[in-house]
Amino acid sequence: MGDNNIGKVLEREGFKYNFTAAASDTSAQDEVIKEQDRLLPIANVGRIMKQILPPNAKISKEAKETMQECVSEFISFVTGEASDKCHKEKRKTVNGDDICWALATLGFDDYSEPLKRYLHKYREFEGERANQNKGNNNTYENNIANI
Amino acid sequence: MFTKQMISSEIPMLMSKACEIFIQELTFRAWMHAEKNNKSIVQPCDVAKVIMQTDTMNFLTEIIPNNLGDFSVFDAKEENIANIAEENEVSLSFTAGFMGNPMMKMDSEENAGNIVEGNQATLPYTSGFMGNPMNMMNMDNVRMK
Repeated sequence: MGDNNIGKVLEREGFKYNFTAAASDTSAQDEVIKEQDRLLPIANVGRIMKQILPPNAKISKEAKETMQECVSEFISFVTGEASDKCHKEKRKTVNGDDICWALATLGFDDYSEPLKRYLHKYREFEGERANQNKGNNNTYENNIANI
Repeated sequence: MFTKQMISSEIPMLMSKACEIFIQELTFRAWMHAEKNNKSIVQPCDVAKVIMQTDTMNFLTEIIPNNLGDFSVFDAKEENIANIAEENEVSLSFTAGFMGNPMMKMDSEENAGNIVEGNQATLPYTSGFMGNPMNMMNMDNVRMK
């Protein structure tokens, strides 16, 4: 019946998924997010959970699955807030500072400060790596010119 | 209308670290809750109770399975009452004997006893509950120390 699929909302297990697609695009109508794409890998989640607990503590499979759901919602919650901020400020790209701002706004102040430091170190590291690559490229170009 | 937005290359790194901290915080709180109840295994109900009791985690209330949600809401409220009582040095005697499901309609103590005896295997959590909790909740029992 020529079902218009723009801004279609699929609701499954308490989550809302927004799909933006052209009305003529038929492949989007069949699009359903798979479980493995929607959640973080359970082995990784379980490993992170074990890291913080003493060796004698045990975690049930159901608790790991609940945690998977919680983390997925956490990601949506934080990135959604950061995305809204960028949209209001008419910016197309969400950056690390927006995430830190979103965390602070949503009450995760304890996360915000350490992550700002983490982001700062990451940027320094990336800057150094970019300079190294630049230096290597220049050396390579000089060597080519000398041949 | 949805507008397409891009993310910078630092977002996956930053969000993965944020998720790691989030998982560890929620897990540790859940484990503390389990340990308080003399359990060595972290169960979803422990996670649910932490979510109910922590303000910043309230966005997760929709995720908790419905059957856990009912208990978690009630337990969180009851624990909150107990905390307020400790802080203000008020003894709330009406919460002392209640150990069951608030949704169960039990009119008399005899009826409650029969139900407990009949379903001892299936409903072990009702063992301490005698009578309708709503009857006990009159403010005459609240006394200041």
